[in-house]
Amino acid sequence: MDKHYCICIGRKFCSGGRNVAALVAERLGVKVFDRDLLKTASRESGFSEKFFEEADEEKTRKGLRSLFMNRFNSSNGFAANYLSNESIFNMQSEAIRNIHEKEDCVFIGRCADYVLRDSDRLLNVFIAADIDDRVDRVCRHADDMTPNKALSLIEDIDRRRSSYYNYFTGRTWGDPAFYDICLNSSTLGYDKCADIIVSLAKEKLGI
Amino acid sequence: MAELKTPQELGTEKIGKLLIRYAVPAMIAMLASSLYNIVDRAFIGHGVGPMALSGLAVTFPLMNLSAALGSMVGVGSGTMISLKLGQKDHESAQLLLGNSVTLNILIGVIFGALSLLFINPILTLFGATQVTIGYAREYMIIILAGNAFTHLYLGINCILRAAGHPNKAMLATIGTVLLNTLLDYLFIMVFKWGIKGAAIATVISQVLAFTWQCFQLSDKSELIHLKKGTYRLRGDLVKNIITIGLSPCLMNAAACFVVLLINRGLLKYGSDVAIGAYSIINSIGFMVVMMVMGFNQAMQPIAGYNYGARQFDRVLRVLYLTMFFGTCVTTLGFAVGEFLPDFCIRIFTNDPELTAIAHNGMKINFIFFPLIGSQMVIGNFFQSIGMPGKSIIMSLSRQVLLLIPFLIILPHYYGINGIWYSLPASDILSVILGFSLLIPQVRKLKKMV
Repeated sequence: MDKHYCICIGRKFCSGGRNVAALVAERLGVKVFDRDLLKTASRESGFSEKFFEEADEEKTRKGLRSLFMNRFNSSNGFAANYLSNESIFNMQSEAIRNIHEKEDCVFIGRCADYVLRDSDRLLNVFIAADIDDRVDRVCRHADDMTPNKALSLIEDIDRRRSSYYNYFTGRTWGDPAFYDICLNSSTLGYDKCADIIVSLAKEKLGI
Repeated sequence: MAELKTPQELGTEKIGKLLIRYAVPAMIAMLASSLYNIVDRAFIGHGVGPMALSGLAVTFPLMNLSAALGSMVGVGSGTMISLKLGQKDHESAQLLLGNSVTLNILIGVIFGALSLLFINPILTLFGATQVTIGYAREYMIIILAGNAFTHLYLGINCILRAAGHPNKAMLATIGTVLLNTLLDYLFIMVFKWGIKGAAIATVISQVLAFTWQCFQLSDKSELIHLKKGTYRLRGDLVKNIITIGLSPCLMNAAACFVVLLINRGLLKYGSDVAIGAYSIINSIGFMVVMMVMGFNQAMQPIAGYNYGARQFDRVLRVLYLTMFFGTCVTTLGFAVGEFLPDFCIRIFTNDPELTAIAHNGMKINFIFFPLIGSQMVIGNFFQSIGMPGKSIIMSLSRQVLLLIPFLIILPHYYGINGIWYSLPASDILSVILGFSLLIPQVRKLKKMV
């Protein structure tokens, strides 16, 4: 049995995943790792944070550009390219494993569920929401946002997250088969979502 | 590489020492594959005749195309496997190995069969004439029949490297070259099988190398090994393999198109013999280029690591040092090409007409060689520091983008010499382009030191 437990939360863009994660962490008294994970990875590897940001899950390039820009960097047999997306992903995974070894925690995204798949104290959650609520949320966050623009932004970011996740894990992003529970934050509200996750965590992870 | 741990030594050890240590294995592998070309052509040139050399040369675009498809699967699955091994996800790595074997067989057989079906029109398109097509067809039929093995052998070598066995991969490469040399001698010189002998030697040595690889990969204690149930193609894996491998594949395919243009130009303004002459010049030039590539491969981890770790003074030092070594190598190539051309040509032929054409071509072709060393290093430097866009511009400019217009225009004015002039002309322009991209980058790096 692993010393520390870990809750991995996958989420559709603007589904309130981060709010739910924050509530869960608050109730359990543990830390949430979101973008600050990149900082940790950067500190541990000695690599500038910029590279982790450039390779992050929402930064994958699309279409013809992606063919050349994302892939050409790959390492070959004799010479590892330390700045390739694959290498950056491996450093980030190492940071995830190190955190998991040191403390109980909640991870948001970054394929943590796959990276920690061999842990026996792992709870995988996916959070989605009704599209109208998500559009509302996007519009509330930015002043010059129209519902149409919000919708295409949502689709765009979901696609990027999905291709990032599928590429690195070989799993399907958001497929219920890979999660312990999938929640809809529109139906349940953030509080109720957090309640469910906490009680499930207590049961499964033996907290 | 299975483990992508960032070794501390890249950030602290002396740059010169690092560069040499990383360059030696890469150079050996590069030399081995360029020696393969030279040996095959030397035996055919001496053992069969100058026309056979031209016949062999018209098959290059087709061979390149096949290699491009092979490298697509090899690079794609190698990259994915090393990613999975880094995550200790051995099951997926295993699945990728099985899928890449199936994919190689599938692509190898389909490409081989289609090319065999249309062998005459294809070879004519690539510059074969009534004199040379016999040789080209005789050679290519055997090579194409063994095409699936070629793909398997090259693909598994990529995977061996990715799975943390670069030495085994190198052993396979060197073994294939040695075996091929031995068999070439036996089949061409002793048995007098002609150009067919070279093709049989190639196929046999690749089949044997592949058998050895399978033996290596069937060891159940290995992290990844060949395993039943992994061969069924999975759509998502195939898609990943192909998207990763597509850009190196397209680059190789572009190079194949250029060889086609050169061959046809040489035929139009010269003769069959000129195509053979180009293949001699090309073999020598290729060897020089491959040696620079060895240094490039060594620079990549050093420059990349230090750039990531913001040690920009070390980044600049490794860049300068690699440019220096690269220039030394290409200057050596220049000296040999300009002052000892007949010595090189004699490796391939004693025919006076072929020698005269190759002599003239080599002297023109190698004229800017001292400069292209740094051009090649610059292209790879951009890739090392995570700027693949500029890197692609650099490698396409010299061999494709700048070369094609020259190949079309210059022969109108200078005849066959126009073809020879095109090569150094695009060399010099791409060197200028390289420095104009590099200088602002170096300034930026200097400011950050």
